[in-house]
Amino acid sequence: MANYFNTLTLREQLEQLAKCRFMYSSEFDEGVEALKGKKMVVIGCGAQGLNQGLNLRDSGLDVAYALRPDAIEQKRQSWKNATENGFTVGTYEELIPTADVVLNLTPDKQHTSVVNAVMPLMKEGACLSYSHGFNIVEEGMKIRDDLTVIMVAPKCPGSEVRAEYVRGFGVPTLIAVHEANDPKGEGLALAKAYAVGTGGHKAGVLMSSFIAEVKSDLMGEQTILCGMLQTGSILCFDKMIEEGIDPGYASKLIQYGWENITEALKYGGVTNMLDRLSNPAKIKAFDLAEELKEIMRPLYNKHQDDIMSGHFSHTMMEDWANDDVNLHKWRDETAETNFEKTPAGDMAISEQEYFDNGILMVAMVKAGVELAFETMTAAGIIAESAYYESLHETPLIANTIARKKLYEMNATISDTAEYGCYLYNHACVPLLADFMKGIKSDVIGKGLDVDDNGVDNARLIDVNEALRAHPVEAVGAVLRGHMADMKKIV
Amino acid sequence: MEPSTRLAKIAFNSATISFDDRFTLSEVDWTIEPGQHWVITGANGAGKSALAAALAGVGKLETGSIDGLPARVGLVSFEAQAELIAAELKKDDADIMDVVSLGTPVREMIFDYCSDAELAGELVEKFGLTPLLERAFRKLSTGETRKVMLIRALANEPALLILDEPFDGLDVDTLAMLQAHLAAIVERVPMVLVLNRFDEMPDFITHVAYLDKDRPEPVKGSKKRSEGGRLAFTVDRQDEAAYNELYQLLHLKTSDLRVPDADPASQLPALDPSQPLVKLTQATIRYGDALIVDRLDWTIERGQHWQLSGPNGSGKTCVLSLITGDHPQCYTNDIFVFGFQRGSGESIWQIKQFIGYVSTALQWEYRVSTSCRNVVISGFYDSIGVYNKATDQQKRIADQWLALLGMSARADQPFNKLSYGDQRLLLIARAMVKHPPLLILDEPCLGLDDMNRQLVLALIEKICEGGETTVLYVNHHTEDRIKEIDNHLTLEKLSAL
Repeated sequence: MANYFNTLTLREQLEQLAKCRFMYSSEFDEGVEALKGKKMVVIGCGAQGLNQGLNLRDSGLDVAYALRPDAIEQKRQSWKNATENGFTVGTYEELIPTADVVLNLTPDKQHTSVVNAVMPLMKEGACLSYSHGFNIVEEGMKIRDDLTVIMVAPKCPGSEVRAEYVRGFGVPTLIAVHEANDPKGEGLALAKAYAVGTGGHKAGVLMSSFIAEVKSDLMGEQTILCGMLQTGSILCFDKMIEEGIDPGYASKLIQYGWENITEALKYGGVTNMLDRLSNPAKIKAFDLAEELKEIMRPLYNKHQDDIMSGHFSHTMMEDWANDDVNLHKWRDETAETNFEKTPAGDMAISEQEYFDNGILMVAMVKAGVELAFETMTAAGIIAESAYYESLHETPLIANTIARKKLYEMNATISDTAEYGCYLYNHACVPLLADFMKGIKSDVIGKGLDVDDNGVDNARLIDVNEALRAHPVEAVGAVLRGHMADMKKIV
Repeated sequence: MEPSTRLAKIAFNSATISFDDRFTLSEVDWTIEPGQHWVITGANGAGKSALAAALAGVGKLETGSIDGLPARVGLVSFEAQAELIAAELKKDDADIMDVVSLGTPVREMIFDYCSDAELAGELVEKFGLTPLLERAFRKLSTGETRKVMLIRALANEPALLILDEPFDGLDVDTLAMLQAHLAAIVERVPMVLVLNRFDEMPDFITHVAYLDKDRPEPVKGSKKRSEGGRLAFTVDRQDEAAYNELYQLLHLKTSDLRVPDADPASQLPALDPSQPLVKLTQATIRYGDALIVDRLDWTIERGQHWQLSGPNGSGKTCVLSLITGDHPQCYTNDIFVFGFQRGSGESIWQIKQFIGYVSTALQWEYRVSTSCRNVVISGFYDSIGVYNKATDQQKRIADQWLALLGMSARADQPFNKLSYGDQRLLLIARAMVKHPPLLILDEPCLGLDDMNRQLVLALIEKICEGGETTVLYVNHHTEDRIKEIDNHLTLEKLSAL
């Protein structure tokens, strides 16, 4: 199988990368009509598979689960999940030939084997749905010409997908149609109906392309979302210990700090996150971020280049073929870092204190978000996609660290993201070694030691203008506005 | 290690205690002498649960002092129960490994916690929890969860037992068992009970503390005006006159009660009058090998009000959720509701539009930050939180309900800062607001004080009389009968698990 992206012309590549738009509510007026009476068969009954199926069924759609024979015979958890919830369960041979839509909700790594097993069984003209485009774009899986291929990807964990639906709402969802496989031109109608069936249309739907989704997703998760937070956690913790800060405090400041500071990001972008600091601290964070951006830019470029060329997925798939030796080794190493091994103390840290004593963390988030955004857009990814895969998702990932540190983050994200995160971390830690030598506890652990909060007017104006002028802030303001229109009235 | 000999008196001296920023008990002067057993009572939102929690060391002492609090306290309350459930849900690592986690089994919840394993074992047997020991704690019914809480409190050698509404949600047999057990340990363990129902006061109670609402001056420099309560007076049970007066105080005249109108703008699809509202045929629910409901036939005709009863764990809530569409096994049963055969392509929102619903489970699930008014408005949309733009008319109707409940002043306050009883009242209004064809009230009076219970019962009677709504009412308390309800269905607990 050849990398699909690399078979396209430059013009086609750019056209696909530029796809991403926030859809209007009125585009979902037909509801689930396009899927009414059709047979939907889900493959995979984990958290996404089960919860999406529950939603689709409660929206009046016909859902069944196809499992491997051993999962059925041994009554594995996936079998229990499906049967206890009253779904029809059968083997691929029993159910796939009856399916109008096959929903592939298995992990990335299994896609090739799953699709190879399923495709010959699918009936003429049916639809195959993905929740991530890696298999199509990077592995170059060729789908039978008569089949329609779509993507519907709720941007939240499976339990959230269900919980929001039950409340009468939904989670933001990305949809796409694989243009090489849309023989009847019905891909978009099916994807929209699927998004309605899971409740996604109530929270906002982005229409993108397989390519834009994969290339921006990979870039975001490797760099700012997971890689930067992992590198930042390790470096900031070790620095605080070196500076004599109580280990319990240092551990807590980082574990919950990412979540607290990126909450401000969620509400008002990078500008608001820095506005939470005192004026001298804001200027300090700004300067640190500028320095970090200069040091890290070549690394961000390298990640983006390797993603675009297919080099990244190629090396990762080699590791898949080698029983994930590297992935497992790097996972074990992460578990052995000092940050991971030091439990958070039970002292109280106020929300504001996370900003005041975490100036370097704020600078790292700013630098990472802006660099990822700049690198993606420079590579042809449209600003909307770049925004979602950098700034928008950072609080979601930060939340996993708050739950159980890096272990939780790396367990929650896909193996693909985890692999890329380690690659980033291995390059970034040594890259920042010199920079970290100049860091003291005033920017991480203790807060600025100043007599008063006075600053130079002209300097403050420059910093504020630079913050607000960054392109991620412009597109962010527009998209957050759309989301707020659809969001809960609180 | 005999607790009674070690117990000193507990004394609150002008103690002002705050609970986060949401509630303050001011200037409490209260002494519990050795040998006394107390009931705390009062209006909803007056701080009964807060005072009980203060005995367990919860809250921040702002001024004054509290002396003699024992270290080993057994506490049972809805708040503690909800917290335990929330902790279990949080533990749910479903998404980490993309597997659906099973939760902590009941055995672990009880035996890893209780220091008196022998007593715990005895109570497990007595309360009928033995067959449930391997089941996940969070899969238990409301009543079963309560029993687990009780065992954890009783079998952990408490030096003081604090039971906040211990009898609510328990079936008759369990209730008798618990009361007998409390009577048996009364010499050894001092007890403080929070009770909303005066008629449930055990004989061993020696004193009653009555709490009233308090409106403290706003704290200087803070815009927040936190809710508060105070200890209004205490009554010695020997003093008959004072005791009777207190009983009167807790009653409310409900004669001039008027139910706010429905929203004229929201029209439901017409129902075929010749068809029943609900028809369950041979309805069966099982979890793995455990049979919860066995081949139940049940038809609810329009205008035919029903009361559903049965012991804890007999599947009452499960049966209701088959009707509401919240139970996944509604798709494997023969269920006809509001003109739809379930599983024929209808959505749950098409079902829910005909139903108003309140239950303890709903209250646990109602965990969004929204205003009191919005909670009532969400009843028009069958949602938890409001995601549609409400009309002015809907807002007006919601405000009428708030006025009826005496909560107008709190219309814009956040729902999740209210007391359990006040939250319950709002959820009842949410269920009734659209005058639904079917109103399902699953133990609606749990957590309500005498006055508000009377209010809710009177409302239910008015709604029954109104003619447009059919009421399905679940309750253990036989004295909470609604006079219009003359159909009864009693579920049995299935022994074969």
